[in-house]
Amino acid sequence: MSLQYHVQLREGDVAPSVLLPGDPGRVPLVASMWDESREVASNREYVTFTGTYRGVPISCTSTGIGCPSTAIAMEELARVGARTFVRIGTCGTFQDHVANGDIAIFDSAARYDGTSRLYAPIEFPAVASHDVVDAAIAAGRELGYATHVGTTRSADTFYAMHARPGSSFNDYWQSGWRDHFEDLKRLNVVAAEMEASVIFVLARVWGLRAGGVAVVLDNVLKVSGESGAFDPEDQFAHGGDEIERLARMGSETVRILAERDAAEAERATGPDTAIT
Amino acid sequence: MSDLQYHVRLSPGDVAPTVLLPGDPGRVPVVASLWDEAREVARNREYVTYTGTYRGAPISCTSTGIGAPSTAIALEELARAGATTFLRIGTCGAIQPHARVGDIAIFDSAIRADGASALYAPIEYPAVAHHDVVSASTLAAREIGLPHHVGTAFSTDLFYVPEPGAAFGGFEQSAWRERYADIGRTNALAAEMETSVLLVLCRIWGLRGGAVALISDAVADKDASGRFDPQATFEVGQEPMLRLARMGCEAARILRERS
Repeated sequence: MSLQYHVQLREGDVAPSVLLPGDPGRVPLVASMWDESREVASNREYVTFTGTYRGVPISCTSTGIGCPSTAIAMEELARVGARTFVRIGTCGTFQDHVANGDIAIFDSAARYDGTSRLYAPIEFPAVASHDVVDAAIAAGRELGYATHVGTTRSADTFYAMHARPGSSFNDYWQSGWRDHFEDLKRLNVVAAEMEASVIFVLARVWGLRAGGVAVVLDNVLKVSGESGAFDPEDQFAHGGDEIERLARMGSETVRILAERDAAEAERATGPDTAIT
Repeated sequence: MSDLQYHVRLSPGDVAPTVLLPGDPGRVPVVASLWDEAREVARNREYVTYTGTYRGAPISCTSTGIGAPSTAIALEELARAGATTFLRIGTCGAIQPHARVGDIAIFDSAIRADGASALYAPIEYPAVAHHDVVSASTLAAREIGLPHHVGTAFSTDLFYVPEPGAAFGGFEQSAWRERYADIGRTNALAAEMETSVLLVLCRIWGLRGGAVALISDAVADKDASGRFDPQATFEVGQEPMLRLARMGCEAARILRERS
């Protein structure tokens, strides 16, 4: 496959498994956890590093914020050979039992984005690959992180749809926003972020694997408080090591998947089946 | 509120925490025939319930009737009576050519082409199975040696499928022409009528839900005239149904063992 227009990658530039943060600035931080790595492309919001983590080939490409730029990254990464996608990001939570700093493992997403419905009807589920969910659970256990498996709400907005005026500029607000967060809480939705839905839908319709892990930075029902004012710079809990922990979660998930894929291939072609 | 549930005629104590859910009430005694011991605990309308033990673990089986509306009623009432893990065991029509008649579909998710689930949760919300149930079902299929496929169900309120020639009198709508081709292109595994509402309700209640189904036909199967004749095309013998039931019981056992 020829050079891909936006991500500036060719076949051979990426490993079969790709970690997907949103922020291009996080890609070198993630790669710094690996055995070895090199920058293979950098264009617009798309930065790609490729290397090995504990002996397993791995890549990391930033998607930019939101589903439109993420869909472009996925289309082009799949064309150059990526087969498993693991989103690593940050998120808010709707649930009181989830603490800041915990890790959310996404097994599915509520599709509050525009891009995924241009690919598949809205009735279609945004669901992670069971293999990836299982590997992420094992990774979380191994690393000793507090994890929560559940649904994320992937929306095309960061500042809109909050319960009270104050989140959007100039106190712009719509009455239909009032109960949105509370309804999502009642629906048992664990997290809020902006990219997982399109990643899950695209991987599923293409027959590829995807999953997602994210570190929780805030409780979206509490962050804007009584005033409704929303200032992520002040209100998000940044402990400092979130990205490092995310990088470890993502990289370990990929390693466990590779280990299990190898065992599965062995099982399929091994001596047992050869006899029968 | 009376403890006795209006439609399923069950009270707390009548059902085990894990309930298998076939559609057909006639299949409930067939499923229960695999258990160590079983008794009929309720029977009303399309809802028949047996409770017993399978390899030492308490288990129940309740029929849901056909479709998401009657299934939602069964789930609401079973949850009130104490059920916390639900595994649908049904039949389905393969959409993908690699899924063969007689194989088992393990549904990790569903396309929500039903009416009932949309009355509970916005359509953006995913119909997703609990990963424990997917894991246990996959392991059970492997242990028993059943060919199986993990994927998405197309859960629809229509049996006489929206395809030219399927509905009575040749009735059709232009939007139906590419319906199944488009669904097939999304990689959906098989079509059936109950999984979406089961998965949505379990998720919003914080309970565990999953679904497995015997592939009894291929959605593309039609006779030479292009007509759809379920009597001629479906082959649901007793033997394949028993294999599916065995798999459901084994999945329930594995789930219990792990928790």
